[in-house]
Amino acid sequence: MAEAERLEEKPDLKTMLKKLSAGASYRRMLAAKEEGRPICVAAAAVPIEIMYAMGVYPVYPESLAAIAAGISKAGEFFDEARDRSFSSSICSYTRCGLGIAWTSKSAFGPIPEPDLFMTDVSLCCLHVTWWAYLEDHFKKPTFYVDMPATDDPWDPDYLAYYEEQLREMVRFIEDNTRCRFSMERLKEAVHHSDMAGLYWKQILELRKGKPSPCSFRSLAGEILPLVTALGEKDAADFYYALFKTYEEAAQAGKTPAKGGERFRLIWNGIPIWHHLQVITYFEEKGANFVWEPYTALSWGNKTASGRLNAEEPFRTLAEKYTNVLTNMPIERRFDYFDRAIRDYDVDGLVMFSNRSCRPQSIGQDEVVEMVRERHGLPILIFEGDQADAEGFNMQEARTRIDGFIEILEARKR
Amino acid sequence: MTSEFKEIFQQRHQRCRQFKDRGGKIVACFYGLVPKELIHAAGIMPVQLIEERNPEYDERSRLLPYLCGMSKNLAGQVYGDIYDYVDGVMVATVCDTNRHLFDIWQHRKVFPRLWLVRAPSTATELAVSYYAKELRRLAGELEALSGKGVTEEALRRSIAVFNENRALFRRFYEVRPSSGISAEESLYVFGAALVMPVEEHNAMMKRLLDSLPAPASHDGSVPLMISAINLNMALDVVKMAGRYGARVVTDDFIHNSRYGSDPIEDLSDPFEAVARGYLRKVPAPGIYSFEQRASYIRATMERSGARGLIYVVQQYCDAFAMEYGILKERLDAWAIPHLKIEAEDTPASIEQLNVRVQSFVESLM
Repeated sequence: MAEAERLEEKPDLKTMLKKLSAGASYRRMLAAKEEGRPICVAAAAVPIEIMYAMGVYPVYPESLAAIAAGISKAGEFFDEARDRSFSSSICSYTRCGLGIAWTSKSAFGPIPEPDLFMTDVSLCCLHVTWWAYLEDHFKKPTFYVDMPATDDPWDPDYLAYYEEQLREMVRFIEDNTRCRFSMERLKEAVHHSDMAGLYWKQILELRKGKPSPCSFRSLAGEILPLVTALGEKDAADFYYALFKTYEEAAQAGKTPAKGGERFRLIWNGIPIWHHLQVITYFEEKGANFVWEPYTALSWGNKTASGRLNAEEPFRTLAEKYTNVLTNMPIERRFDYFDRAIRDYDVDGLVMFSNRSCRPQSIGQDEVVEMVRERHGLPILIFEGDQADAEGFNMQEARTRIDGFIEILEARKR
Repeated sequence: MTSEFKEIFQQRHQRCRQFKDRGGKIVACFYGLVPKELIHAAGIMPVQLIEERNPEYDERSRLLPYLCGMSKNLAGQVYGDIYDYVDGVMVATVCDTNRHLFDIWQHRKVFPRLWLVRAPSTATELAVSYYAKELRRLAGELEALSGKGVTEEALRRSIAVFNENRALFRRFYEVRPSSGISAEESLYVFGAALVMPVEEHNAMMKRLLDSLPAPASHDGSVPLMISAINLNMALDVVKMAGRYGARVVTDDFIHNSRYGSDPIEDLSDPFEAVARGYLRKVPAPGIYSFEQRASYIRATMERSGARGLIYVVQQYCDAFAMEYGILKERLDAWAIPHLKIEAEDTPASIEQLNVRVQSFVESLM
């Protein structure tokens, strides 16, 4: 009934944004350090709920890299990586994230000395080497949450292995900080995480309506607390307020697509952080993104039921964090697209072939083939990089988008 | 004697087809972290997927332009039916590209059987225990293919025969710098091990070690170590260095590094022994502790008397590219001369490195 209680009272969205924005996260990190809370540099898929439950403040280099790229402040971090002999063929999150760590700076200002490091070895192999660099540089305790490559993330042995590691993660934090574990606090954190994930899902559901009230560009920013603040009540409140705001917009028939939503699209891949105006350009042409694996499948409640079970926190977190799209067979990945194309009544797809992210890009062509075969939809593929703007040409992108829109228009006639 | 190794390496596909015609089963390994002992214990011959220079393969691969040439080349060979004799392929993750190529091969059904080794990237007791269980799962899959049970006894025998191979290699690398064996010949001694029955390779190695050619006069040439993933590229660089007055006396070919230089321990549970033998024990880039990896290179250079290192990065190889930053830091701190070169696996791409290799060699004279 906690949900019903929450629904009676809508927190103010602006107030919540002030607490959870990127800048606010930075200020909270400084405050946490002042309070003597340990700062942990964590990879994006390390269960954050455990860190919040234990009083550890997480900092995410991938988020910091995306933010720095988004506000054109990533240059010095790439330079730092280049100076340390990093080839530009290496993932831009990794180069930028390491640059941030080595310079002890973020786009918002200096970063205090971290106390702990934790990485997942699930999303990509670079997470091992990246954190090894951090471990080598800072000489601080580092924990590797291992998730072997698999094509069957639902295997009970696999889940059990991951779940046991979460208990090891707790022991690691206790061994290296003054933080102590409390099952009650973890259950509470998982509950807040569940609620945040639930409202996020409800926001995404609103996009099935015509027109969809959400802009992918806005969602790309609003997803931040799902990465950086899950486990806190504020995050749940934020997503509830955000849901209510979008719900009102949906009821009022609002849409970010200029002149009305003429085309409903899927975006595949990480947003192009350094040129988010690509999304806006689509919207200016009356095309709106209504589904993305990035928003729908990468964050939030990724368990089979779509909810987290706070009564079995380790098990539910294991189910959530092992559910990695790129660890699934290509057919299974296609199933998500297939369903989304039907459920969201999609007119076309934009596939971002991301030079930085091998796991997301390899297999994309096969999904494209399957979508073309099953649905015959127009698909625009363009190559670029998630955080490194080098070589990206907005004018070229506009020309390609114009051509794509013409194809969509021709199909509507 | 070394010409036999070269012949076997160069005729690997014909030989494998003959092996198959005689009723043998073959499982290909992609790459060197596949536990070959397990395949061997099931009565199956493990062979390594090996790059072969031919631009057609890269084109045929249909892989994205920013992926490594090694994966493109192997995929192209596979789509060109070069590995038509293979009964299955086992993929063990060494990088994101090789791991996700598995997805594409699985989707395209290019092999009769395909297994992804779910190997942990840590070596905690929990990881060892999980991996030992995973090895038992894979043993079941291999049993189904060969009809031969992977018993603990069979696995123990396989561990012993591969350990013997590792020991012979250690001896070979010890004597190589002072022998008359060239870097090119050594490459084939090593390459043959990847594509033939291990017992036969052991026998050949023993014969080779008993009849090593007398040391040639080195005329003051500069002894070097080479670290590379791509054997064709390594061979070109070896020859190029030779032209400018250097001789490569030891190497760190990644297949070899990943195969492991240390023996697998004899434990009561051989599955656990294989798990312990592979998890973060193999001195390869990307998945091995920096400290140990750098120390391993330094120690190898010291043992062989190499005075410089040529570190060959195949373009878009994340494992090598990521490792280099820290390796450079260590090598600089130890005052070990080194040259990093990055290229595609084409003669033209390698040839462009000419001046840099020449300058590096001259700087050590």
